[in-house]
Amino acid sequence: MTSESFDNLILELRRGVIVLAVLSQLGEEQYGYSLMKLLSDQGLVVDQGTLYPLLRRLESQGLLQSDWRIETDRPRRYYLLSDEGRELLPRLKEEWSSIVAMLKTMLA
Amino acid sequence: MNLIDTYVSEVGKHLPKKSAADIEAEIRSVLQDMLEERSQAAGKPVDDELTFEVLKEYGAPDKVAASYQSQRYLIGPQLFPTFQMVLKIVLSVFGTLAILGLGIQLARYGVSVDGIFQGIAGIISAFITALGNVVLIFAIIEWVLRSKGSTFPSQELPAEKQWDPRSLLKISPPDRVKIGERIADIVFDSAAIVLFNFYPHIIGFNYLQEGVWKDFPVFSEAFFAFIPWLTLILVLDIGLNIAVLRQGNWKSFTRWFDIGLRGAMISIGAVMLSTPGLLAITADALITASPLDLPTAGLLEVVARQGGASILAIIIIVELIEIAKHLYRMLVKDTKAAPFDVNG
Repeated sequence: MTSESFDNLILELRRGVIVLAVLSQLGEEQYGYSLMKLLSDQGLVVDQGTLYPLLRRLESQGLLQSDWRIETDRPRRYYLLSDEGRELLPRLKEEWSSIVAMLKTMLA
Repeated sequence: MNLIDTYVSEVGKHLPKKSAADIEAEIRSVLQDMLEERSQAAGKPVDDELTFEVLKEYGAPDKVAASYQSQRYLIGPQLFPTFQMVLKIVLSVFGTLAILGLGIQLARYGVSVDGIFQGIAGIISAFITALGNVVLIFAIIEWVLRSKGSTFPSQELPAEKQWDPRSLLKISPPDRVKIGERIADIVFDSAAIVLFNFYPHIIGFNYLQEGVWKDFPVFSEAFFAFIPWLTLILVLDIGLNIAVLRQGNWKSFTRWFDIGLRGAMISIGAVMLSTPGLLAITADALITASPLDLPTAGLLEVVARQGGASILAIIIIVELIEIAKHLYRMLVKDTKAAPFDVNG
């Protein structure tokens, strides 16, 4: 297997966790760039080409809410979990825990 | 207009109009955040070089715009299987008709290099036209479904139908050859070859004139000019029937070979239809051979001619139906079969 194929597999693995990671960090308001930095500081590097379309999609699905704010000299769009998103997040976390437990058994 | 504005404007050209302004504003905001951070890290003010670096990292405008849109298809995965099936059917029918047309043209006007090249060019043109029309129609259907908001998102394949394993019992074994039909074909082909080549004089009537038996042939010399071609087709048909009987099943090659033979028969039939004087049953011949008067003999000539044309037309239609059956079997697998006895 080539290095590129391996990298693609890693990318696929990481793609599977991005939605949960993003939702877990939006209990408090974040704007797009700050969210990207927050995720990166915790080890999950998400490029802007993935993050911003994802944020819009999650908003269109009703899991996030957003609003524009003018701060200093430029407008920024702030995202926050919606009521539906807050309701869904614990269930996603639970599902994730069971997946991790299952994989731990399989990989042991 | 600075670089950022130009970049955002370029991205906006590829975005859906409804959300373009909002997305452009967000991208502009992100880029400004990125530039600010890089400027602070580099300890220098924002300049063109820094801006180029950030824009390169952000990505090409069309790629960025594409990430905001769902995948777009000319013909999506839901319609594609249907498109494939329709395309196969249409190309096969067009191809068959085009080849038949070429055969009729060559048979009527004679074989020439120019005629063959023109015919092949016509076939290729027909294929391309058919392909383009089918693609266009399905692209329009895809666009209509998407614009009306189809009941399932374009990224997902349609939900599988409830599959019943009992449907496996209805799947037929490979296309078995009907032995009786093949043998009957061989017998009739052989009889026709012998009759038309060795005993053509017996195809007619015998009549007694002045105490002497005379022959009244049905077919004229013009008809017998086609016999070598018909004989060739019949010989090939016998060979095909023998091969098919030995194999026990129809295969793609044998089906296509049979289609070719039937196509050739249709071509010859079409030329014969347009060739006058194939029958020897003329008013003059009838008057010479019998006590019929001119009006009656003329009527009988017309009846014989119309009857002959009708028989040729029926033969052509039957051959077309057989070709259609072959194409159907090859393209659409939906045959009936005797059910298996699951209890053994």
